[in-house]
Amino acid sequence: MKVLIVDDETPARNRLRQLLEDDGDHSVVGEAGNGVQALEVAAETSPDVVLLDIRMPGLSGIEVAHHLNTLKVPPAIIFTTAYDEYAIEAFETSAIGYVLKPVRRERLVKALQQAARVSNRSIDQVASKSELTGPRQHVCARVQDQLKLIAVDDVIRFHADQKYVRVHHSGGEHLIDESLKALEIEFAEQFVRIHRGALVSIAHIESIGRVADGQMLVVLRNTPEDADGLIISRRHLADVKRRLKGA
Amino acid sequence: MAATSNADNQSQAYLPDFCAAATILVIVLIAELVAIVLTLAGHGVPGTFLTELAKMSMYMQWLALLGAALLCRSRPWLETFDSTRAFTIAFFMLIVLCLLMAEITWQATSKYGMSVIIDDSHSGFVLRTFAVSSIVIALTMRYLYVASEWRRSIVLEAQSRISALQALIRPHFLFNSMNTIASLTRTNPKQAEEAVEDLADLLRANLGEPKQRTTLKQELEIAAIYQRIEKLRLGDRLSVRWDIAELPMRALIPSLTIQPLLENAIYHGIELLPEGGEVLVSGRRDGDNLRIEISNPVVPGEQSKKEGNNMAMSNIKQRYELAYGGRAAVNVESGTNEFRVLLTFPYEVGIA
Repeated sequence: MKVLIVDDETPARNRLRQLLEDDGDHSVVGEAGNGVQALEVAAETSPDVVLLDIRMPGLSGIEVAHHLNTLKVPPAIIFTTAYDEYAIEAFETSAIGYVLKPVRRERLVKALQQAARVSNRSIDQVASKSELTGPRQHVCARVQDQLKLIAVDDVIRFHADQKYVRVHHSGGEHLIDESLKALEIEFAEQFVRIHRGALVSIAHIESIGRVADGQMLVVLRNTPEDADGLIISRRHLADVKRRLKGA
Repeated sequence: MAATSNADNQSQAYLPDFCAAATILVIVLIAELVAIVLTLAGHGVPGTFLTELAKMSMYMQWLALLGAALLCRSRPWLETFDSTRAFTIAFFMLIVLCLLMAEITWQATSKYGMSVIIDDSHSGFVLRTFAVSSIVIALTMRYLYVASEWRRSIVLEAQSRISALQALIRPHFLFNSMNTIASLTRTNPKQAEEAVEDLADLLRANLGEPKQRTTLKQELEIAAIYQRIEKLRLGDRLSVRWDIAELPMRALIPSLTIQPLLENAIYHGIELLPEGGEVLVSGRRDGDNLRIEISNPVVPGEQSKKEGNNMAMSNIKQRYELAYGGRAAVNVESGTNEFRVLLTFPYEVGIA
């Protein structure tokens, strides 16, 4: 199997590489010292398994796992962690592969044999138990075979687009393979739903106003294409007003 | 001082429960004893002792029970102050109550023609009541205060013992270090060897009977050992600047209070920064005080949910409070880009 090792600590990566070399059945196709690099290398080398440290600066392992799932052929994921009793409980219940540091060879080999693709739902399950809770800082779009990270802070709005969600952000537009409903829950603090098919960033709202036929519009900052404003459905109007006051 | 509020909340109530039957019994007994003493010391007209005692007892019990009722009602309010102030306020409340009762008693007895009960002038009676009650209340309050301070110090000491145990190194650090060592045994056996030695020293300092205070030299050595181990793991991402040349190394400091702060700085700060950063440990002498500051960069806007951090911090605050009372301070500044802890404590030397 082709294995990608992701850990922010050099000795930890060396250790995994040593163990895999001892075992001989696997080849290490790459190493990455942070989440962004991990996604780049994963897209280039399409590994079968990713050994993924949970606690990393920048993109956490949990977040990286989410993004890896957007690859055309998502790799199996085995989390590595030194100590996080709650997350371990969640690993057990959701049957996600994990190894504890210091890593034992037999344990690693067994985890590799059982390695399986991890669903986003079970990742969320782990995230909610682990100390690394909270929404992601990036969403991830697939552009041809490359993964593109979009900082959530740069996102102006999410728009439902058939099976996908279109992300309008300061650097353009991209499609992501996620559901609007899930995004709404995850980013409830930063985004508000204005109608059935759109979430807008509260920070990007300039004003709301009424047009001639009595409909309400939301006007967003720095968005020439939305200069006319976006319609707020009657059902969501009260909520939008409440959120704007609160902000 | 920042630490006192915390310690006070956790110590038990320092005023006794004046509504409880047991306390009221004690108060009744004290009042009765005072009544007996006063009657015994009185004029002593033969054959009138019991009558005199009865009169005196009635008056004393009146005051005592009303006083207990007053404190029973006002205790929740009094407990919002610190103990010294609460006792002082309670003292004056009781004095005012006694004066008021003396006046009412005088007015009542003279109005209803029972002034035979009190063979004294108006002002004489009020003054005597005032003098006697001041002394008795002051003594009782003093006793309660000392008892409560004693209880409080026991609680604080027990807490600090527990805190010292909690100060034990994070499991996260321990397992990561072992992983590092396992890795180094092949790539760099010499480094692995040193790391094992360092880890052993660190564990030894953490185990054993928790010492209250140690010398700065020893404390900083432990912190330096800790830094060496973390450096192996984090590489270039971690740097620590020690600006401590001015510190007198034989000064005493509560043991294991710098290393956990360094650990916090790394765990909550440096480790979460992709490029890492520099922890600054600086110290200087400021008259009779020593000031040690530990600061680290943090991920902007990431100050929330720092439970582990708070635990280590409140534990350190408690231990400084126990060691120095109000003479030390543990100040925390949590900015957008920086986290900073400032320890201020008296410069003392002696036997660690």
